[in-house]
Amino acid sequence: MAVKTILPFGPQHPVLPEPIQLRITLEDENIGQVLPALGYVHRGIEKAGENNDYPLNVFLVERICGICSATHGLAYCLAVERLLGIEPPPRANYLRVVWAELHRLHSHLLWWGLLADAFGFESLFMQIWRVREMVMDVLEKTAGNRVIISVNAIGGVRRDLSEEQISEMLHTLEECEKQLYALLPVMLNDYTVKKRTAGKGVLTSEQALRLGVVGPTLRASGVAQDLRMTGYAAYGELGFEPIVEQGGDCYARAVVRARECFQTIELVRRALQQLPDGDILTKPRGNPNGKAIVRVEAPRGELMYFVVGNGTKNLERMRVRTPTLANVPALLEMLPGAEFADIPVITLSIDPCISCTER
Amino acid sequence: MPKMLPTVLGNLVSKPATRPHPYRRREAFARARGRIIFDVKQCVFCGACALRCPASAIRVDRNERELVFEPFRCIICGVCVETCRRGCAQMIPHYHSPAYTKPEEYYRAPVEVKEENQL
Repeated sequence: MAVKTILPFGPQHPVLPEPIQLRITLEDENIGQVLPALGYVHRGIEKAGENNDYPLNVFLVERICGICSATHGLAYCLAVERLLGIEPPPRANYLRVVWAELHRLHSHLLWWGLLADAFGFESLFMQIWRVREMVMDVLEKTAGNRVIISVNAIGGVRRDLSEEQISEMLHTLEECEKQLYALLPVMLNDYTVKKRTAGKGVLTSEQALRLGVVGPTLRASGVAQDLRMTGYAAYGELGFEPIVEQGGDCYARAVVRARECFQTIELVRRALQQLPDGDILTKPRGNPNGKAIVRVEAPRGELMYFVVGNGTKNLERMRVRTPTLANVPALLEMLPGAEFADIPVITLSIDPCISCTER
Repeated sequence: MPKMLPTVLGNLVSKPATRPHPYRRREAFARARGRIIFDVKQCVFCGACALRCPASAIRVDRNERELVFEPFRCIICGVCVETCRRGCAQMIPHYHSPAYTKPEEYYRAPVEVKEENQL
């Protein structure tokens, strides 16, 4: 007879970068029911956003997430710009794409490193993070900080790129791409990687659509849905095509992210080559009034900002819906039936960002 | 595993990718947001920086002609630098070193500047 055990996985666990608890009912080594427990890193950022002046909220929302901070700032700025009825200059749109894509690149590389770490491939973890460090250096050289780069402002961006910086950035990205290509056979074809990811945590496209899954997790299930296709900022002019894999398992999610790394480098390159001249900031005038919903593609998936202005310098309401919140239900369907030893890999495969989810 | 072999051999002969941090520090990047310093000789104590600081790390007393800055509250966003028309708030690329206490920095107007500004 199978022995039933209820196992608390987390909130502190070596594989989890952030605290989430999964109460897992085990039957011998097989997973039965899974219940998530959230609420360990709630900081009340949405409420704090109502007390700040609206231009200062950019710095607040960037602190929602430690990895995709530029995307949060971008989404908030797009929402408030819509309320104020201002349009950022073309150069600012392109620079926003550059920094948002660099964030996606370092986020995906971080995730790949963590995945390799989760199944014990420490060497690959360190190799990938060494490549990631080059991206972090590019961010620090151009934006001034490694993660919370604070480049977005209402009406444009706060920093410009000089010609030398652009050529240096292109050179570093080329080097980064070269090193990633060298690692790619190991990332995608290695026996260890395939053994631990292929066929684990399968999510079919029907399930994915029913559960409202977003981002690379959705695209790995064969659904070509990426908000960059809507062409916000300058994405409409860069010829963006979403990357889709059909497998729906952890391996497919890993492949999507690996391919997106190269796509991201290509997008940055195109954006820098087409970078128009001109201003980088349109001064905002007046106070936001009305309601606006903005959806952008964060590294983990769809990020939604709902902003209500009431004609004062404070916002009436700021609502954030983050990708991990949409992906946790999928996790609860992926885990049952899997084996105990696969919990870390399957949990990581949705790229959980708990700070985003709880805000 | 042979695919990793060139990398492994390369790593054997190459220099370490990391550096022994406190003993050998990396040169700060020119545009890095290290920390904020105030050149109080330029300051007119208008309080624009304090008003716009997202972290409320700056307090300005106009009557006392005093500026109080809390470097450990500062998020180094650079809004004060963009706001200040006199070039008083400045960004330098060197980080604040870690500390056991979080002291505030007091900036008082020198007497001669006060007279000049009263004109």
